Amino acid sequence: MNWYPVFLREMIIFKRRLLRLGYIFSTLIIPIIYLFAFGLGIGKGFRISEYDYLGFLLPGLCALSSMNNSYTWVANSLNLNRIYSKTFQMFIQSPISAISIVFGEVLSGILKGVFAASLIVIVGFLTHEGFELNWVFILALILNSFMFSSLGVVIGMITKSHEDTATYSNFLIIPMGFFTGTFFPIEKIPIIFKPLIYVLPLTHTNILVRKDSLDFMGWLSLLVMLAYSVLFFLLGIRLIKGYSE
Amino acid sequence: MIEVYNLSKTYGRIKALDNLSFKINAGEIYGLLGPNGAGKTTVVKILTTISKPDTGSVKIFGIDVVKTPEKVKNLISCVPQENNLDRELTVYENLLIYGMLHKVRNLKQKIYDALLHFDLQERREAYVSELSGGMQKRLLLARALISDPKVLFLDEPTTGLDPQIRRQIWDLIRKAKMEGRTVILTTHYIEEADVLCDRVGILSRGRLIAEGSPEDLKKCVGNFVLEKLDGDGRLIQHIFKSEEEAYVKAKTLGPPFSIRRSNLEDVFIKLTGERID
Repeated sequence: MNWYPVFLREMIIFKRRLLRLGYIFSTLIIPIIYLFAFGLGIGKGFRISEYDYLGFLLPGLCALSSMNNSYTWVANSLNLNRIYSKTFQMFIQSPISAISIVFGEVLSGILKGVFAASLIVIVGFLTHEGFELNWVFILALILNSFMFSSLGVVIGMITKSHEDTATYSNFLIIPMGFFTGTFFPIEKIPIIFKPLIYVLPLTHTNILVRKDSLDFMGWLSLLVMLAYSVLFFLLGIRLIKGYSE
Repeated sequence: MIEVYNLSKTYGRIKALDNLSFKINAGEIYGLLGPNGAGKTTVVKILTTISKPDTGSVKIFGIDVVKTPEKVKNLISCVPQENNLDRELTVYENLLIYGMLHKVRNLKQKIYDALLHFDLQERREAYVSELSGGMQKRLLLARALISDPKVLFLDEPTTGLDPQIRRQIWDLIRKAKMEGRTVILTTHYIEEADVLCDRVGILSRGRLIAEGSPEDLKKCVGNFVLEKLDGDGRLIQHIFKSEEEAYVKAKTLGPPFSIRRSNLEDVFIKLTGERID
């Protein structure tokens, strides 16, 4: 595998974005708005089982943020490089395998997803005394970033224009952020919609990020996330192998 | 040696290539000449593995490009018609990433040499968008050559460049041939095909309608062209094998007229009844 140049390209661009304050600000702004509006505003004084509302919301915001950043970055990068700048041709004409391209893109997506979640973790430590990390939470965020980076590869490869990427985001990613346990427990969702909610991948991240250890439900969510990750990753490889202009 | 057999490719209802076959000898500059939409870029895309043909096969030095594209990628490089340089990276970074993708050994030294050779040393930290059109073409060529390819594809390499820069690019292409590379060049510039190519294939509507050295092709249709404006201001052209024949005809038409040597566009017009540009 020669994934490193694909990864390095993304990292050079990422490093450059980091040096612009606007990037960190835009990564933080939406979760911070949610945090203040729902956590410190509407939710103040609410309790959800053993959590106060802010304690419930913070892990969900980390999951949401890692999903948004890993998915959006990878899907946009592939879409723009394939359709507009044509830089993607350079990867296809190079003697590297499809798996190397996917791995390089996904690894960069994981890094960006985990970075964005880390910013929320810092905010969490600053705003909530009881906020703490454990290995299940960290594993869930890494796997979540892997899963949505791989989905980003798939969407980035199948979209026919940049507007298409926004369409997938509006119909899939944004609703998933709201209805899969980020802002309120999935137990509150009407029973008729529950099967649909359990099919969505972010639901399982939201279950895992609030666990201290892996019980039965935790293992089940972990397996679902792994299954989605492998499925999206393999689909990404297949799409790149079949690439033809 | 590059062998193309019965290549066909359709985009929707448009037949871009129609049973196209030709061979290119190792070490020659082979030009694909034709108007926009003739299928030149489609040929390059298929030969450089970014497009798959509907039917047909291509072999580059005996390796099947369609069945085993991964094996041929070590041998080829391409300067595409549409600039696909990475606009988010600097000149140096463009060469670095491309070199790493092609597993180029001693890469830093090769990048240094390439920057010097293509006169880009002073712009190594510049972004692509900060370069002039000529510099971007030089960078595309530098990038393509850094992997030391046996076969170099150049898709309309001088389109949009001013004449002076065009001649600089021609010199670099000639040098690539002198280094032993096979060069496949697509162009709709008659002069470019005439001065650079050992052999030219003329494409029209996805078909090869003539092939040979520029001199042979011109000789085939006639070396001299008589041009005269008719009463409506339209340019009427007659092609003759010899200058004498052209003068005999000119005398019957009366002045004013001009007689010039034929070029590849005359060949194209004679064969298809259409102009190249």
